[in-house]
Amino acid sequence: MDTVIYFILVPMVYLAFAVFFIGTAVRLVKIFREPKHPATLQVYPEKNPKWLWALHDTFLFPTVRRHKPVLWVFLMLFHIGLLLLIIGHLELFAEFEIIQVIPHEIFLGQGYLGLLLALALLYFLFRRFVSPVRDLSVPEDYYLLILLFLIVIFGSEMDWARRWYGYGELTVEDYREYLMSLLYLQPYLPDAVTGSGHSFMLVLHVFFANLFLLLFPFSQSMHSFLSLPMNKLRIGK
Amino acid sequence: MDQKTRDDLLDLFQSKLNEAMRFYLETCTRCGVCTEACHVYASMGQVRYIAAYRGEIVRRLYKKYFKGRGKFWPSVGEAKELTEMAVEELFDAAYSCTGCRRCMVYCPFGIDTQMLMSIAKLLLIGAGSEPEILTMLADTSVEKGKSLDLFKEGFLGGIKRLETEVVAKWKLEAGESAIPVDKEGADLLYVALAGAHSIIPAAAVFNAAGENWTLSFFEAVNFGAFVGDPTKTKLILDRIVNEAKRLKVKEVCVCECGTAYRVMKQLSGKQPFKVVSITEVHARYLREGRIKLDKTRLKGAVTYHDPCQIARNAGVIDEPRYILQHLTDDFREMTPEPKYNWCCGGGGGLVALGEDTLDFRMKSSRVKADQVKDSGAAILATACENCHTQLSNLNDHYKMGMQVEFLSSLVAEALVR
Repeated sequence: MDTVIYFILVPMVYLAFAVFFIGTAVRLVKIFREPKHPATLQVYPEKNPKWLWALHDTFLFPTVRRHKPVLWVFLMLFHIGLLLLIIGHLELFAEFEIIQVIPHEIFLGQGYLGLLLALALLYFLFRRFVSPVRDLSVPEDYYLLILLFLIVIFGSEMDWARRWYGYGELTVEDYREYLMSLLYLQPYLPDAVTGSGHSFMLVLHVFFANLFLLLFPFSQSMHSFLSLPMNKLRIGK
Repeated sequence: MDQKTRDDLLDLFQSKLNEAMRFYLETCTRCGVCTEACHVYASMGQVRYIAAYRGEIVRRLYKKYFKGRGKFWPSVGEAKELTEMAVEELFDAAYSCTGCRRCMVYCPFGIDTQMLMSIAKLLLIGAGSEPEILTMLADTSVEKGKSLDLFKEGFLGGIKRLETEVVAKWKLEAGESAIPVDKEGADLLYVALAGAHSIIPAAAVFNAAGENWTLSFFEAVNFGAFVGDPTKTKLILDRIVNEAKRLKVKEVCVCECGTAYRVMKQLSGKQPFKVVSITEVHARYLREGRIKLDKTRLKGAVTYHDPCQIARNAGVIDEPRYILQHLTDDFREMTPEPKYNWCCGGGGGLVALGEDTLDFRMKSSRVKADQVKDSGAAILATACENCHTQLSNLNDHYKMGMQVEFLSSLVAEALVR
């Protein structure tokens, strides 16, 4: 069992990050090196300034707001929450004064961010069980949502246990010790990380996160990088 | 399907892969926001007409043959083999899509379903499964470009016979030609459709505005674009580009034909001439005071149908409304607004396929008929041949009791000195 835990927490993490960064970069380079479309793909009426509108359309999803307002609320919650949680993870490496601009106890969001994210993911998942979205969905869409839900739920449980139930065996210091050792390429697993009552949550959280990173470059998740250039095409040059 | 055919078709697929196409093939999250965008789905309620579903028909082949996943884990994206059945699905998707790009407005990423359908159309050509009549029409156009001399005399004779009708609408000074053809040094080359209705009113307005114009030998419509054949599209387009260069015109004015205008405007590349639509030219004449219109001619409220390829996809939105201000005091805008205007249901070659598609065109455009009726207008103006035909068919089918008119004809009819 120790070997499996070690594999998930150390070599698999390195592998996942390598695949994520290299895979994404290679795929993006391949796409952006394709010849440009010979004609404009703009939709009218024209909106200026174009870059600002492209950013607006990419990050605020105005078309979703207009046509599917409930979905829009969950999408905004999910994407903003995701961004904050990614930033929050930085604090599990070391202290960042800039993130502490608004003073808070680690982790960001008092546990509620994870809860909101989990609810948003359940909404995304359940709406795929209903026609017509069900008829459009392919297994990939379900796998990614289930994977994200598992990542969020195990990650959040650790946070909730510490924040809401005073669980003290797996502390921020333990995470920092583990993650910094990974960063410095001198992997070290503190006892609390592998042997405390909540270790299994950490192991599962990391395992599913690894899987997600491994799949990312080859899945529709690439929309994170492609949405802006695509919206720019629709706005026009 | 044998391996050779499949490989040839996949080569055609590959030829369509540029940066934008890769974006559109990689990105769809199947979120379903586009569900209500397609007039066919809105009218008929069948899932296969949702934009994302149409896209997926092409995307599944992409996932099979152009992504590593297709080999290792095809089921994750429901990757699909290219078989005869797949070709049938491509036909169903491509020839029920009018290329109106309304779904592109809905999509949070701006996926262009018309572009994805262009892959389907090209594969259909490769498989010999495209609507033959469109290829025949495209070939005729290409042939006309190659051997103009064979057509020239008949064309000139035909034009001569139209001149008296032009003069009946707008009298000219003695010695002036009512329909100048092949005039070097003209400012404007007018590219019409084969049909008096596309030439006579336009000629009368040009003459009334004192335009130094000439009529193209070629018809504007690009059947190459309808059938989705990039080579033929280019050949058909080049006939007009070459003629414009030979005559050294400053502007090429495309008649009321959506596809022709968009192809000419967006695919002709950098040229020594400008490309304009006849609607833009008429608006300019009014703005410059070169023509005057009688506002009392039209009886009843008027509404305007924005042809997708001219408005949403090429930006001519304000001009027709400016013209209509000079034609009526009772203009009724349709809802939703132009960007979200419902397609008439006749684009993408469907009207050109005539009776074969009539039943589908009527069923799939119920929402358009409702939208027009809700405007409460008596006269429905538009600026595209396909739209005009389709809207006239809808008018009959849904017993709307409206008068369907070309905007340019309304202008010609209302000319005053």
